[in-house]
Amino acid sequence: MSSAYRPEFEAALRLFARVSEAMHELGFQRPILVGGAAAEFYSQSAINTGDFDLCTPRQDTLEAEMQKVGFIKPSGPGQMTKGWIHPELRLGFEIVANIPMDGNYDRETLALIENFTDEGAFIVISVEDLIADRMGQYASGTARDRLQQAQTLYRLHPSLDKVYLERRIREETIDEHGIEALES
Amino acid sequence: MASKRLKAEENWTGRRVDFPAFSDALSKRRAELGNPELPRNSGERRTESKKALLKAIKDAGGKW
Repeated sequence: MSSAYRPEFEAALRLFARVSEAMHELGFQRPILVGGAAAEFYSQSAINTGDFDLCTPRQDTLEAEMQKVGFIKPSGPGQMTKGWIHPELRLGFEIVANIPMDGNYDRETLALIENFTDEGAFIVISVEDLIADRMGQYASGTARDRLQQAQTLYRLHPSLDKVYLERRIREETIDEHGIEALES
Repeated sequence: MASKRLKAEENWTGRRVDFPAFSDALSKRRAELGNPELPRNSGERRTESKKALLKAIKDAGGKW
């Protein structure tokens, strides 16, 4: 396996693969990795995320599988999180939605990542949707740092689907931006 | 169980990514571009749940 990723992130991906495979063996779709951890995946740890954001319509089942591999609910005063931590690996997973991007994406673009580990495959949102998501946050005016993230991800993946990316950026930014914003 | 899993994987209609090939290509591309970094999120958009989770990770000794 490549060591281009930081060790903590690789450990988290292995756990994600394990619980993803468990979901699959139960007959459910694997959870989908989104957000900052997807950005770290598509940038080879050029950005370090804080935790893993996951989407699944089977939250109870996934959380049960997470507990089997050592995740616990943080306890103590002020611990109001919906997320889970793995105390030995000191990382966190949080189920943030049933489906990515309120369903505004093409399921055929989801990426099934194979041969990362022999413990199972896992699913990551497409790099196009990830970039469009960053652009939507940038256009909202509340996260200006997302533009540079989107531009760098775009440059790192020259073979991405530009037609799909253009459409998705237009949708996420309410037609304020297109792919040209990434090329400037 | 293995055959059942294989059958289901054959039904996957999305993209398939072979991780070793993906990682090798990405490494080369990063090197071509001078290993660019991505700016970290400012954290201004974090939910209360997310802030609490990140604090719990930090309290556990995590370096994320």
